[in-house]
Amino acid sequence: MNRIRLTWTHAAALVIAAFVAAPLYWMAVSSLKGVDEIGANPPTLWPEKITFDNYKQAFVDNNFGTYLLNSVLVSVVATAIVLSLSAFAGYALARLPLRGKAPIMVALLMISLFPTIALAAPLFLLMRDIGWLNSYQGLILVYTALNVPFAVWILRNFFLGIPKEMEEVAWVDGASPVRTVWSVILPQARPGMFTAAIFTFTACWTEFLIGLTLNTADRFRTMPVGLALFGSQFTIPYGTIFAAAMVSVLPIALLVLVFRRAVVSGLTAGAVKG
Amino acid sequence: MSDEPPEEVPSAAGEDDGHTVAPGRARRPLAPIHDEPPPPVTSPHRPGDEPGRGRRHLTSQRSVLERRFARLGWAFTWPALLIVLAVTLFPIAFSVAMSLSNVTVSADGFRLSGLTSDHYTLLLRSERWRHALLFTILYTIGTVLTELILGTLIALVLERLGGAGRGWMMALLLLPWAMITVVSAQLWAYMYNGVYGILTSMSDSVAGEPVQFLGTRMPAILSMAVADIWKTTPFVAIIVLAGLMMLPRDVIEAAKVDGADAWTAFWRVRLPLLRPALVIAVLFRILQAFGIFDLPFVLTGGGPGDATESLALLGWQVMFTNLDFGPGAAVAASTAALVLCGCLLFMRVFKARVGEEETGT
Repeated sequence: MNRIRLTWTHAAALVIAAFVAAPLYWMAVSSLKGVDEIGANPPTLWPEKITFDNYKQAFVDNNFGTYLLNSVLVSVVATAIVLSLSAFAGYALARLPLRGKAPIMVALLMISLFPTIALAAPLFLLMRDIGWLNSYQGLILVYTALNVPFAVWILRNFFLGIPKEMEEVAWVDGASPVRTVWSVILPQARPGMFTAAIFTFTACWTEFLIGLTLNTADRFRTMPVGLALFGSQFTIPYGTIFAAAMVSVLPIALLVLVFRRAVVSGLTAGAVKG
Repeated sequence: MSDEPPEEVPSAAGEDDGHTVAPGRARRPLAPIHDEPPPPVTSPHRPGDEPGRGRRHLTSQRSVLERRFARLGWAFTWPALLIVLAVTLFPIAFSVAMSLSNVTVSADGFRLSGLTSDHYTLLLRSERWRHALLFTILYTIGTVLTELILGTLIALVLERLGGAGRGWMMALLLLPWAMITVVSAQLWAYMYNGVYGILTSMSDSVAGEPVQFLGTRMPAILSMAVADIWKTTPFVAIIVLAGLMMLPRDVIEAAKVDGADAWTAFWRVRLPLLRPALVIAVLFRILQAFGIFDLPFVLTGGGPGDATESLALLGWQVMFTNLDFGPGAAVAASTAALVLCGCLLFMRVFKARVGEEETGT
């Protein structure tokens, strides 16, 4: 009886895994196919001839290298700024006697869920007025603002779980506030910082609407914008797109796989605990 | 019986249950100093040695300290709040203003002048807007419901699986979640392609004739929903799984002892306990689904016709393709307002239920 139930569970897990993995497999395999094979009907399940032409097409003959660098730059800088702002705000909202904490937290949560379409036009006009369309700083500023709320949530929940004794000793010893946060509290909050970092980075890395609105010039496109606007209306060079897509998925996939515990804890910190 | 969270459960679990954010139930402000005076040895500026005077001095010092900490708290918080206000709340307000004004676009920019409700009247009369609204609402309900059911089933399977298998499955589930939506949209567009898509050729060998997934109305909507469900169900599954693992073991044991079969135990005991986790997962998903943009932009372009045109896509096209900023802002602002209402309503219901559970137990 027990044995049968076990195998049923395994079978179900296998089916789920197959459904999740099949499209990913298809992308990986297609990125290795030649131009003729990728448009073959019926499609081949495994490339007859493995080729890296698509990768050359994407990164040597086209600008996906630039898009990738733009994405890395914008995401890394925005993540750094988000973390430094949110660490202090999250700490204050967890520990310091502020009035109106509860409304601030609820407002932050709602803002972090707001549909970005409501921001697209005003931000476009604002950035045009100050000349920040097609720039890095414009996108970094917007991504920072969009991700601070959720990072504050994660970090505040994390700070609440840290014992108070150490910082109290630091306060009593007369350490300056910034120093206390920096050298006493942040080291203990490292796992929470990490989770917030992964979430912010992933959000910046995948964001599309604002990137499409603000940075359309080829030199400033991020990866999602570059991937969406590549090709003409009549021919879509899927091989090139998948080669670029594979390169864009790999770093984030590695990040998420290696640190999956931090990711899961963030998902639940934001959701179950929120 | 211990309070230790189970293995995969976030270490971030604090003593606070998160419900404390409910307005009116704010945390008691924490004085950063204990009630007992801490040992004064290490402090350089600790007051005099007479016990009586020292104590009075300490209390006055505490309120001074408290005020200082409050000021410090604002100093820590305002940079974050300021940037959020400037880049999200201000633009939203501007969006609303723009949707209520006459917008004149000229070579040197554009101007807002005069109050008008024309844009909203235009919206209400527009067949296209009504269709986008209906599509977005039905699409949101359909996909989120499916994701909820599938996600719960997946979470139950993973819970039973346990061990290393569960770890690997979680890792696999995180991949679609972390993927750029544009990438998954391109991938599904390729698989749905009418000439060389693998799904088209599979449908050919199963049904005897190829299905044109994106060519006609209903199939296109369903195909887009499948692509969406593939990408976002893992998110729901992981949240539900974490919720399942945080359930107190003794409750389930008690149900078993009372002779409840697995089915009853699930419906009567575990599902009600899971409700907070489910509700939040659903809230996140509803809000995301309602603003859906990337997927139709790449996969269908809103077509065929306007079959898969969501509110966000419509708003963007009116603003940035037609350069009709007024009506576009009206679409965007009304979408935001709908989301806000939905959000408030949902949180209200959610909070009421949490309260019920707390008083009930």
